Amino acid sequence: MSQTNLIEVRDLSFARAERLIFDKLNISIRRGRVTAIMGPSGCGKTTLLRLIGGQLQPAQGQVCVFDEDLSKLSRDRLTSLRSRMGVLFQSGALFTDLDVFENVAFPLREHSSLSEDELRDQVLLQLEAVGLRGARHLMPSELSGGMSRRVALARAIAMGPELILYDEPFAGQDPIAMAVLQRLIRALNDQMQLTSVLVSHDVAEACAIADEVILLGRGNLLAQGAPEELLNSNDPMVRQFMHGHADGAIPFHFPAPDLMTELRTESGRNQARSSGVVEAVELN
Amino acid sequence: MMFNWLQKLGSRVLLRLSSLGAALVMLLQSLLVLPGPRGWQRLTQQLYVVGVQSFIIIFVSAGFIGMVLGLQGYTLLVDYGSEQAVGQMVALTLVRELAPVVAALLFAGRAGSALTAELGLMKATEQLASLEMFGVDPLHRIVAPRFIAGLISLPILVIIFNLVGVYGGHLVAVEWLGVHSGAYWGNMQAAVDFSDDVMNGLIKALVFATLVTWTALYQGYTCVPTSQGISEATTRTVVYSSLMILGFDFILTALMFGGL
Repeated sequence: MSQTNLIEVRDLSFARAERLIFDKLNISIRRGRVTAIMGPSGCGKTTLLRLIGGQLQPAQGQVCVFDEDLSKLSRDRLTSLRSRMGVLFQSGALFTDLDVFENVAFPLREHSSLSEDELRDQVLLQLEAVGLRGARHLMPSELSGGMSRRVALARAIAMGPELILYDEPFAGQDPIAMAVLQRLIRALNDQMQLTSVLVSHDVAEACAIADEVILLGRGNLLAQGAPEELLNSNDPMVRQFMHGHADGAIPFHFPAPDLMTELRTESGRNQARSSGVVEAVELN
Repeated sequence: MMFNWLQKLGSRVLLRLSSLGAALVMLLQSLLVLPGPRGWQRLTQQLYVVGVQSFIIIFVSAGFIGMVLGLQGYTLLVDYGSEQAVGQMVALTLVRELAPVVAALLFAGRAGSALTAELGLMKATEQLASLEMFGVDPLHRIVAPRFIAGLISLPILVIIFNLVGVYGGHLVAVEWLGVHSGAYWGNMQAAVDFSDDVMNGLIKALVFATLVTWTALYQGYTCVPTSQGISEATTRTVVYSSLMILGFDFILTALMFGGL
């Protein structure tokens, strides 16, 4: 692996319930940068993030992180490798039986031998970084979606990781929370000299902070490059996704036989009649 | 046609066997590790949730079941002039059969379903995945304390069931229907053997506790993490646990009291 690449995925194949999600995928993610993995829903973005986190095993191929092939690591080695990674799950994944302070303190209590005073200072500093020091006594159920994600971010950076994986950080957020998260992701990456990988389908938000974009589709890499390059790409599929066109290279319709043929066959008629489609077509 | 049927049957049996194996592996992996420094604290928390919070339903049910036994026993025995034996009937029915079985069924409905739903929701909200990413094995942290708490709680709940049930029978038979109090307690003392009756009842409780808690945790841990998946897993916990309790009760009764 080259010195500049922190993650390398080689000839990765992965299937879920007989559906092939990746077919010989090759990508590399560079150290110290914010890389956005984008693609339509269901193209395997979150699956790729889980493969990078070692939570899923590839059917074929390799996922190398920090120069180590994850599928060859023992459980202990994987655990120690994971302590160099932080993950921000889509739902925040805060522990619902612990308050905000204890959630952020969790990885420190597990993996460090800090005294109670040092631990308190450390947690307060992390919460300050995400602007939620005042919310440390709240329970996860009392937080808004945006706040939950910020607490989860504070927890993810508590151990000073070298790599942070963000799973759909902007999904379902209001514009203010989105802007806050964007600012935090970029600022943390630059100040802590991290490598950030974010999975998203919010093109504008992800492009605004990403140094590099990886576009996935149809089980493989569609394009990789700087956000501007992809936004100006002439490839029809890349253009459709980056500019959000409803129809194009990626069709609007799920594959199906011709509508009129289907409506005129007996079984098709029966099915369609119950929904009133045939009458509507015949009237026209 | 016949082959298709056989093939389907075979694949179902294989599926059941492989999930039984997976459940066994899950249990062993979660238990074959020494508890961490905060293990006791987590166990105490779970004892409260699984055991103490099931107390009310056990207490109330035991009271009513004891009262019904007292009433039924009295009306049956009074025709033969042997209503004094009602104490022994109530106690033997409770300690040998009703207390372990009914308490375990209630425990499956109250604590088992809650455990499955809790684990399923933890899976759906990625809390289990997040534990893994922090290098903490969810089997040790989440599954083990809940399993041990179930194992400790149900036998204690069965002891409580026995005591409350016997007093429920006393309330109806002695206080309301006029059976002599000395006969109620005396016959009971003469008829109930500690090791044959009480201990066998408690062994049943321990077996049922293992079955219910194990089923509940396995169903929660392996459920499909959607609202429908969690609801199906919770239903499966209650149905499978109840059937296993009744099936194993017959086997245990046959072994303990049936002279097999």
